[in-house]
Amino acid sequence: ITIIRDSHAHSCISTWLNAASVCCLENMPSAEAKLKKNRCANCFDCPCCMHTLSTRATNIPAPLPDDPSKTAMKKAYYLACGFCRWTSRDVGMADKSVASGGWQEPDNPHTQRINKLIEYYQQLAQREKLERDRKKLARRRPYMPLAFSEKYGLGTRLQRQRPGAPITSLAGLSLKEGEDQKEINIEPAQALDEVEPLPEDYYTRPINLPEVTSLRQRLLQPDFQPAGASQLHPKHKHLLIKRSLRCRKCEHNLSKPEFNPTSINISSECQVLLTLTNPVESITHVTLVGCEEGDPEDINSTAKVMVPTKELVLAGKDAAADYDELAEPQDFQDDPDVVAFRKSNKIGFFIKVVPQREEDGDVTVSFKIRHDFRNLAAPIRPSEEDDAPTEAIWLTHHVELSLGPLVA
Amino acid sequence: FACPSAPGGANIAAGAVVCVESEIRGDVTIGPRTVVHPKARIIAEAGPIIIGEGNLIEEQALIINSYPENIMPDTEGVEPKTMTIGINNVFEVGCVSQALKIGDNNVIESKADLGKNVILTSGCIVGACCQVNTCEVIPENTVIYGSNCMRRVQTERPQPQTLQLDFLMKILPNYHHMKKTVKGTSTPVRN
Repeated sequence: ITIIRDSHAHSCISTWLNAASVCCLENMPSAEAKLKKNRCANCFDCPCCMHTLSTRATNIPAPLPDDPSKTAMKKAYYLACGFCRWTSRDVGMADKSVASGGWQEPDNPHTQRINKLIEYYQQLAQREKLERDRKKLARRRPYMPLAFSEKYGLGTRLQRQRPGAPITSLAGLSLKEGEDQKEINIEPAQALDEVEPLPEDYYTRPINLPEVTSLRQRLLQPDFQPAGASQLHPKHKHLLIKRSLRCRKCEHNLSKPEFNPTSINISSECQVLLTLTNPVESITHVTLVGCEEGDPEDINSTAKVMVPTKELVLAGKDAAADYDELAEPQDFQDDPDVVAFRKSNKIGFFIKVVPQREEDGDVTVSFKIRHDFRNLAAPIRPSEEDDAPTEAIWLTHHVELSLGPLVA
Repeated sequence: FACPSAPGGANIAAGAVVCVESEIRGDVTIGPRTVVHPKARIIAEAGPIIIGEGNLIEEQALIINSYPENIMPDTEGVEPKTMTIGINNVFEVGCVSQALKIGDNNVIESKADLGKNVILTSGCIVGACCQVNTCEVIPENTVIYGSNCMRRVQTERPQPQTLQLDFLMKILPNYHHMKKTVKGTSTPVRN
């Protein structure tokens, strides 16, 4: 679901990524999402069928904290899947007394070892990168003897250093290396000679099929990969990415997706850029007028349009314009709010569109375009007056534009 | 319930709430505290149907004891088989059940389809739109779900719909007429 507010002529668009949760519609910047491992804190997935789990409440009698002999009904919450009827009680998770926030994912016993390994390899990778970079820069030296660089001035980085001192870029690297003095040592994994033997009835014991997890269920939990269904714990739900677009020039939000359909506010006004090309060689003056109420030609419009009130002037088509460098650009004193650009016989101008209905169909606007026209074709019968300049006649056309569907 | 001729051949025990708009054909026995919604259909074609207590049969549900496909209705020498349905079962909207034996506390979700040769034990849940027409006894507490009829076993059986039944037994007579029960009196319509 996307909102498009403005139709922009600016071609530079910056994008930024946010993470959002589909179920609880929680928004967070991508840095925060990375910390949480791209998972929602509140919502869980059913480990059995991967649907979203819902929290259900039951009343259980519990002793009052003040008076242990009396019991009162307390609310106990458990997670349940509406699709496959899995409940958190199936894997032995106790009911919690709070509706959300009480559920923890089980700890991975190997977390520490894995983190240490990751650190070690990160350091190793950094070191390798240093070596590579140093080798690259060291190789460049012989190709640029000092005499050469002197001739062309202080252009090179090498030149700027004092001879003999380490080059700054490498100096920066060596500083980093100096910081990382503490080495991370890891113990290599130990290969064991003795492995636990299989249980005796491994081949003869009948399979309890409902207890065996499917490959998909197992692999969705890569840290545990439980073989038994009674060890399938729910995992936090994955977040989805929202890619928002923004124009760099004017900081307007172009596209900001939302997961919740009811939170959409349709921006009421849109600016649309239209291009008009003048096909004749003489200057043409164009005026745009909105359609009147009850105009018989205005049948399909689904949006109101506000056309520029000033007259637009289009230069004539000049085939030689591209090659004529010395021609002075004609100064038309364009209003920047109205005219977006002007290029020889073309003009780009803005109209404002206000969609009238939230329709599925296309947004259509209509207006009248009025312009002058001079017929430069030679008359069949030469006129009796000598060379009267051809008169301009004013023509009015009805224009209907389909701007495409309302993206909302 | 061996009962003298009740209207339409249906023996409806006292305490059962069966709406007039439901279609009950053939020799059907309905136990007390069972609610049959309007537009539900219970058809005993090839034999009697016995329905226990506390069942909930929702709209457009079809419980049919039909002849096997290869036997014509007029064939002689065919033994009528009785369809038995236990207690506290729920037949959700639009489901079809031809299973000859259904135990207790089962839930047959909307648009599920049970074939003739299936036998449901207790605590089973047949998911929405699942077609089960194998020839087997479904073990207790089985959940059948998904478009591929995946199965799993749940640790608790589904709870009986006591609250819902009580509510319906109070409200339905306000809006519908009821079929007459065995004792000869229909459930009084409240003003």
